[in-house]
Order: sequence, then C-alpha cells, then structure tokens
Amino acid sequence: MSPSLASRLTIGFAIAFAALTGLAVIGVARSLHQRQDFENATARSYQVEIEARNQLVQNVRPAAARAEVKAQERKRQELRNNIDSQTRDTALLVGAGLIAGLTGAALLFNGLIASMRRPLEELVEASERLASGDLEARVNAGGLSETATLGAAFNEMADELQRRAGERDRLDRMRDEFVLTTSHELRSPLTSVQGFAELLMLERDNLSPKQADTVEIILDNTRHLVRLLNDLLDLARSDAGRLAIKPVPTDIASLIDDTVRTMRNQTEAAGQQLSQAVEGGLPPLQVDRDRIRQVLVNLLTNAHEYCPERASIHVAAARVDDEVEIAVSDNGPGMSSDQLEHIFDRFTRGDAGLTQRVGGTGLGLAISKSLIELHGGTLRAVSAPGQGSSFLIRLPVEPKPGDARGRQAAAEVD
Amino acid sequence: MARVLVADDSETILLLLRTRLEMEGHDVSTAADGEEVMDVVLRGGGERPDVLLLDAMMPRKSGIDALRELRAEGIDTPALIVSAHQDEGDLTTSDLGVDGYVTKPIDFERLFASISELTA
Repeated sequence: MSPSLASRLTIGFAIAFAALTGLAVIGVARSLHQRQDFENATARSYQVEIEARNQLVQNVRPAAARAEVKAQERKRQELRNNIDSQTRDTALLVGAGLIAGLTGAALLFNGLIASMRRPLEELVEASERLASGDLEARVNAGGLSETATLGAAFNEMADELQRRAGERDRLDRMRDEFVLTTSHELRSPLTSVQGFAELLMLERDNLSPKQADTVEIILDNTRHLVRLLNDLLDLARSDAGRLAIKPVPTDIASLIDDTVRTMRNQTEAAGQQLSQAVEGGLPPLQVDRDRIRQVLVNLLTNAHEYCPERASIHVAAARVDDEVEIAVSDNGPGMSSDQLEHIFDRFTRGDAGLTQRVGGTGLGLAISKSLIELHGGTLRAVSAPGQGSSFLIRLPVEPKPGDARGRQAAAEVD
Repeated sequence: MARVLVADDSETILLLLRTRLEMEGHDVSTAADGEEVMDVVLRGGGERPDVLLLDAMMPRKSGIDALRELRAEGIDTPALIVSAHQDEGDLTTSDLGVDGYVTKPIDFERLFASISELTA
C-alpha cells in the first residue's frame, strides 16, 4: 500500500507545526522570564535609590548617598540595555525557528512534488499516446496512492478502449463481409433476371406493345438494383478503407469528351442542352479513369435528372494553380442552403417531386466525394435556389503520395 | 464463330449464356464446375474450345483453380473469368494467364467483343 498524498502532507505539517510551536514557546517563555528578572532588578534598584535619597534628605552621608543615587540610575540603564539586547536575541531565535520551519516545509513540498511528478509525467505521456491511437499505452500504477489510483483508472480505461476497438473492428469486418457476400449472392439471380429480360427485348417484334413496356420496366428496375448494389459495395469498401484506385496517366479532355458523349442520348431525349469547354493544354492527370468517369457520370446524371426539360448542363475543365478543376454546372432549380449542407450525406436526395426521372440511389455523391478524396482532390457543391447548381472537382496535377484519406472522408459524411 | 466452353454452377446462367452465345452463332459447350472443365479440355474428344468462359467461384473446383491447373499443363486457350465483382478476380488471379474479366450482370455486347478479339 503506497502512502497517500494527504497522509504525507498531514505528517509534514504536523512536524513543521510542532517545531515552530516549540521554538515559539521556548522563545516566549525565555522572554517572560527575562522580563521578570529585569523588573525585579529594577524594583530593587529603585528601593536602594529611595533609601539613598532618604539619607540625602536627612543629610546622612550626603556624598555617599548622592553617589548611590547615580549608581542606581546607571544600573537601571544597564539593565534596560541588557533586556533590550536579550529581547533582540529572542526575536532572532523565533525568526530563525520560523525560517527553519519554512525551509523544512519547502523541502517537504519539493519532495512531495517530485514524488508526484514522475507518475504524472508518465500519465501525460501515456494519455498522449492513447489519444494518438496507440491503444497499447499503459502506465506503471505506482507512487503515491492518489497517482497509483489515477494510473490504475487510466489503465482500466485503456483496456476498455482496446476491448471496444477490437469489438468494433470485428463488427466492421462482419459488416464488410456481409455486404460483400450479399452483393455476390444477389448478383447471380440479378444476372438471370436482367439477361432473360434483355433476351425478351431482343424479340421485341414478337411482343405486344404492352408486353414490351412491361419488360422495359423489369429491365429498368433490374438496372437500378444493380446500381444500388454497386454503390453499396463501393461504400462498404470505402468504410473498410479498401476502396482502391488504380491511377494511370489520363488525358482529362478525352475522358470528359467520352463521358459527355455517352450522356448525350439521355439529355437530348429531355431536350436539355449539354455543352463542354475544356481548356487546351491540360496536363495528363494521374487518376483512375473508370473511377473519375464514374464520378462524372454521377454528376451529369444528377444534373440531367434534377433539371427540367430544355435546361442547360455545362462541363468545364481548367487549370487552377496546382490543380485541375472540372465543373459540372446546370441552370436547374438549385438547392437551398439546408439541402446543400447535406448533399454529400448518404441516401440524401433532392426534391424528387420536381421530376419523374430521378432514379439515383442516394449514394452517388457520397461515393463520388470519397473517390475524389482518394485521389487527393476535393469535391464541393455551389448552389442557391433558382440559381442552378455547380459541382466542382479539384484534382492535383502532382498527386501527393499517401494521400489516400478516403476512409476518413467517408466517415465524415455520416 | 468460335467454340466456347462456358462453366457456371447455375443452370439458369448456363442457359442464358448458351442462348445468347448461340444467337451470335457460337458453338457452345457447358460445364457445371472446374472438374468438368478439366475433363472437357484435357480428356474430351474432338476439338478443344477456342475460348473458356469460367465462373470464378464454383463448388468442387473454381474457375480460377481450373485455369491455374490448365496453364500448368501448358494449355494456353484464351480464358475469360466471370466474377460477381472485379476485386474477386483481381485478388486471386494476378499471377494467372487471364485474358479478361466479365462481371455480373453480364454486359453481352462487351462479352461478344472480347470473344471476337480473343479468337481473331
């Protein structure tokens, strides 16, 4: 059992108090004793002087009496001087006692602080390690009973943190495994449904218009399910920090060109104008072509689906300092600041009442943001009601190594 | 037109693949797992297939294991691996002579293009 801080302080104060009190009592006692001696001697001196003055009045041995009066006056003066110097000595003694006591107390405190300091420093260091993610950080629970208790509590807390982190990792792995397995198991039946529906559509001429429409609906919904499954898989990978990109030198202009071309059928069907303006001489970017295409398709599909007929959608790319900015803008209904705030959250979708075309999963923007951040870039949205919307992708010209913060970014989206 | 050996443990998927490939004019044979693939390719009579279309995950023997064994036997028939999602293939076949991946649900236009390319 280690001594407690309180017990050490109590003992220390008791010793210091007793020492000081003892010195003070001795000093005061000595002082009183000396005072008594002084007063007795002074009284005796007055007595002798009074006798001498009586002799003087009665004119008995006047010369001797006069000398005695003078002698007694001198004696009292000496006594007074003497008691003054003795009082000074006593004051010095008490003062010295006080200084000794205070020095003792200071030494005691110093010792106490020193004995607390090491365990406290150890605690501070361990706390910092724990905060920075080292769940193995522990302290030697020793020293005073207070610091020992503190250390033991810290170690218990660290144990609990480590246990919970382990449990969370296990649940995360189970969830990832579940999503992967589900995605895998659902794909086979979906492949059949989509495949045979497509087969029916190949024989469209043999179907009645109503049957053809029915098969079209089956196909649309199957494709939607597949998109949902792909998005869920991407999010699960992103959360597990396993959303991988394979960057290769990529000509952004041709990637934008390709993507815009594949979107044109849909936008033209809605009478929407789709234009592009890519600055000449953009440097090739080190990016995953398929993933950047996925983001562009997502942004263009959103613009197409949330804009009314005959709206304009514009894709622009230009170099801005050390980055290339790709902007997908539209002159559609725009978003309120409240919608804008949650636009990258999962399962957030704009006001679908506006149009019947909206067929997204509500996951696209969350995934797009993770993907762009995985490339060391940023994705943000600028919009106001009635002012259209712009989604701005920034990708670094020189990718910074180890900039894969996809998981972090996805976690913040939650 | 190519001789295509299709391996999948789902009869429905086999039916779908056979139908679409035959509509394109290909000559299709099927296998229910990797063991059957080995039988057809190594011990089957007649001509060897021109292209293998193997499901990555099958009971008894996966398409990936079958392909690994075939490559070890010196058989270099072009092979496409069909998987639920691409990481499955990426994780396990980087050292293998895979000529392409097909993900489910199958994009048939791309599949036909790959087969033409591999048998050209």
